Amino acid sequence: MTSMISVTLKGIFRDRVFQGILMTALIFLLIPTVSLLSMRQVTELSITLALSLNSLIFLLLSVFLGGTMLWKDIERRYSYGVLGLPMTRSSYLAGKFAGVALFFLLTAIVLGAATFVVVFFASSLYPPERPVQWEIIALCLFFDVMKYVLLVAIAFLFSTLSTSFFLPVFGTIAIFLAGGATQQVYDYIHSTAGDTLTPLVKQAASGLYYLLPNFSAFDLKVNAIYGLSTSFSGLLLTIGYFLLYTTFILSLAALIFSRREMR
Amino acid sequence: MRTPLLLTTSSLLFYLLLIGPFAGYLQNRPFIERIGYVPSFKVLKLVAADHKEVTASFLVMKVLMYFGGLIELTQNEVAVAPDYPAMSRLIHNAVELDPYNMDAYYFAQAILSWDVGRVDLANKLLDHGMQYRTWDWQLPYFAGFNHAYFLKDYATASRYYQRAGELSGFDLYKNLAGRYMQEAGRTELAIRYLSTLEQGEKNLAIKKSYQLRLIAFQEVQRIEVARDEYQKKFGRLPASIDQLVQEGLLTPPVDPYGGNFYLQPDGKVATTSKFAFATKEGSEPAQK
Repeated sequence: MTSMISVTLKGIFRDRVFQGILMTALIFLLIPTVSLLSMRQVTELSITLALSLNSLIFLLLSVFLGGTMLWKDIERRYSYGVLGLPMTRSSYLAGKFAGVALFFLLTAIVLGAATFVVVFFASSLYPPERPVQWEIIALCLFFDVMKYVLLVAIAFLFSTLSTSFFLPVFGTIAIFLAGGATQQVYDYIHSTAGDTLTPLVKQAASGLYYLLPNFSAFDLKVNAIYGLSTSFSGLLLTIGYFLLYTTFILSLAALIFSRREMR
Repeated sequence: MRTPLLLTTSSLLFYLLLIGPFAGYLQNRPFIERIGYVPSFKVLKLVAADHKEVTASFLVMKVLMYFGGLIELTQNEVAVAPDYPAMSRLIHNAVELDPYNMDAYYFAQAILSWDVGRVDLANKLLDHGMQYRTWDWQLPYFAGFNHAYFLKDYATASRYYQRAGELSGFDLYKNLAGRYMQEAGRTELAIRYLSTLEQGEKNLAIKKSYQLRLIAFQEVQRIEVARDEYQKKFGRLPASIDQLVQEGLLTPPVDPYGGNFYLQPDGKVATTSKFAFATKEGSEPAQK
């Protein structure tokens, strides 16, 4: 499996994905200037923009890298050669996933460094009223990586279901949007405003809430931007949620992939 | 080979011809068209996913840019009725998406209370912000000013100033309400408040709006001084500002908002502009 991770990583670098990220990361240079448009929260705006740019890059990576990783191998008939080797399909899938996850971690380190430089620069120009909480920014980046790695697992699951390019890409985008909204929908149906809904709609929404991934738990942006403290037990629960949900999705993907007919 | 070359050259030429009028059309569109349709915050919350804070910042920036454009037009003496309801709606959406966004509260305070005359809406937003920005002294400071100056509710103003003093560590704020409790001190209160904000403001559009308002209040103060002198000299209130000018106590005052100053029967100084640019008739800012 280690060799599969290494092959996956090399493949990603060969496809010049990293150069693409670095090109996009040039937008970081504009952040201090754009932040000056703020009247009362220059540093906070620079953190907002930097973290949002990170999230956008990770979203694009999850959708296009995660969604096309298996599809591309199958299209190129590269998988047939690999699967002929003494390696289970599950190991192949797990190796591919671990390679992508490792690449995400690497990207997070580079983008995180860019974020820190940009925020440091902005905060030295216009010192914020409250000191920047660097550790919460780092924590926010780490949880962002977890969220998008989970999204990659979902993209892998869609890839094992269909050889088409469209299902993994659009399916992943749909799950991303739904996963970001489930908590709000759940809160709404359990508030007084939700009393007007029929019990069937409420039950369906609750069912979807438990079934779909809950991405809002991974979003620590507001804590990072305004230096708000985080709940340690909440973070631990979120890590546990990530590990269990990702394992479940990946094992389901492996199950489907190992039974799939390759023509 | 010739056809693609001809197409490229001609399309580039037509593009250059078109881009001027195209950019002009986009720049001159009404505010509501320029920002496009902004859905309710409930929808925005769902689709913004993990970009709620950045969406809120963009909404505030849109309003700021529009406001900056208005100030520019006013300087060039072009009369444009500000679309306050649309601005207010965007600010409300912004604080729903990111209840910590200070720019939104700050802008709301600067515009809703002064230009639109909706101190109630501004105070509601400030109270909303105080629930989240529990460390911020500026929000209670603004609310204190609104209660003292606009509403003349000195007891509530004291409470807010007390809070601002506790949060900032400056005892001065705690005494503010008491110091300016007299009607005579209202203009001075406004001038001091505006001077403090104007000095700390780096956004040019907002700074300009503070400067205009400061000029207006300094003019009011000049009239008040002349009125008091007249009263001391003649033992009665002047009938009009013209009387003060004729007596040589005052050079003719100028309202930067384009209105005319006048004296109310009780001697208070007022202006036909009400210290704001003309608004669209019947327009009301959005409420939460």
